[in-house]
Amino acid sequence: MARMKFYCDAERCIECNGCVTACKNENEVPWGVNRRRVVTIKDGEPGERSLSVACMHCSDAPCAAVCPVDCFYTTDDGIVLHDKDTCIGCGYCFYACPFGAPQFPSSVAFASRGKMDKCTFCAGGPEETHSADEYTRYGANRIAEGKLPLCAEMCSTKALLAGDADVLSDIYRKRVINRGASVLNWGVQYKKAGIDG
Amino acid sequence: MTGIKDKKSARMRKAVYCCVLSLLFVLVAPLIPYVIDAHAEDVTSSKANKPVALQHPGINLWNDVRQRNEVTQGSSQVIGVDSGILINKTGEDWRRFRMQMLMPYGAYFMAATITTIVLFFLLRGKLRLPGGRSGELLCRFSLNQRTAHWFAVGVFWLLGITGLILLYGRFVLIPLLGADGFSITASACKEMHNLIGPLFLLAVLALLVLYIKDNFFNRDDITWITKGGGMFGGHVSAGRFNAGEKTWFWLVMIFGFLLCITGLVLDFSVFGQGREIMALSHVIHGISALILITVSFGHIYLGTIGVEGTLEGMTTGYVDASWAKSHHDFWYEEMSATVEEQQGIKKDVASSSTKPASSPAGD
Repeated sequence: MARMKFYCDAERCIECNGCVTACKNENEVPWGVNRRRVVTIKDGEPGERSLSVACMHCSDAPCAAVCPVDCFYTTDDGIVLHDKDTCIGCGYCFYACPFGAPQFPSSVAFASRGKMDKCTFCAGGPEETHSADEYTRYGANRIAEGKLPLCAEMCSTKALLAGDADVLSDIYRKRVINRGASVLNWGVQYKKAGIDG
Repeated sequence: MTGIKDKKSARMRKAVYCCVLSLLFVLVAPLIPYVIDAHAEDVTSSKANKPVALQHPGINLWNDVRQRNEVTQGSSQVIGVDSGILINKTGEDWRRFRMQMLMPYGAYFMAATITTIVLFFLLRGKLRLPGGRSGELLCRFSLNQRTAHWFAVGVFWLLGITGLILLYGRFVLIPLLGADGFSITASACKEMHNLIGPLFLLAVLALLVLYIKDNFFNRDDITWITKGGGMFGGHVSAGRFNAGEKTWFWLVMIFGFLLCITGLVLDFSVFGQGREIMALSHVIHGISALILITVSFGHIYLGTIGVEGTLEGMTTGYVDASWAKSHHDFWYEEMSATVEEQQGIKKDVASSSTKPASSPAGD
């Protein structure tokens, strides 16, 4: 059984925020909600790297573990989704998630949290597939169309990969091997750092 | 003719050689440094055969991402609290606390307390008034004090029950109500908890102002505690409040204010507080709430079925004199001293359940 994963290659991400824009556009997410964001570490310093992050669709998802109403479920593809009918907007998933994936629209009275919104791996939600209800509440269901999440599909440098974990790890392994052998690899560029001879 | 021809062809040959040589020089000359460099590199590598100690520039990336050495705040185009943090590990600690500590130990703690109370009640039964009612009534709580108490009771249990439903409902109520039914219940509980929560601050403040006067510990409390409140070693004397009641008062104050402060931090999430602060607040909130709920079982037991004649002090405001003599004798003596002024003691001629005609000055 395929297990869907995101992988972001820090050596390739150029912080173009194309994935963020693609996600917002494809899923029509409300104002103030960002299912995906690009974070730059050491911005403007040596060793600057950027990574795109969203829900990582954990195997043992902390959000699902702490949810007081048990509104999370994992699809056969290993995608972690939640039911907005059941969600009460308590924010516990937000405390538990290490990636800051759960988002809350702040349009509710008394600064109360609305129902949680997060990356669905472009797999819609529990509503009927491709129904208007599914689209307005959860966004696109590209998985049902046999397509991968748009953020990764749009990535210009193919830094952000989405798909079956085995395929992704194969791609990444090949990248690492090729970087090690290439005249353009970091070792040669930085005077053979870490490479003997 | 041949001489001139030879001379001419020799000159041409020279010119061609010169051209070829200079062309060769132009082509080869730029390569010379490479040859020398390659040779030099061969020499150094054969001598040392060590990699240059220059780190990959991205080597600390994952240390920074995982916050291994220090909290590294990245930058993001997405504006929001903590949006520059890629991985925050404190959520996992909070998850472990809530799922593996707060929920099981809280349940054990409450169950153990209820079991103890039930066993105690079965063994000792209701603590009767010695010598029955005297019919003499003493004013124990003013209207303000009673109002504050019952206001606090109402707010405390609304918050307590909604909080307990949010904590244990997933495992207790989902099997009973189903996922959809429990979702509505939990949603109502969340909203009620968040809206009524701030009122608990008012309740705790009112209790503080109205009850603090007689709740300072003194020397008599040590005897009361060592004799287990009269359980071992016979009768113990006490003032208006005994050491047990004073302890309950201070527990309500300490954990009540902790609940209010952390509750406000959790309730109003618009002041830029991050996940760490909110998770920490939740830890303090959960522990404080379970302590107060558990100890309140004892308070409720002693105030209702545990000790005869106690509850009426908080409902009508008056207690029987024999109750006061047996449980709060120092306070009884104080009140008796003022008997001439007719402020506290009223003869109840008709029956002990009838309210006295005039209210005391304390009301």
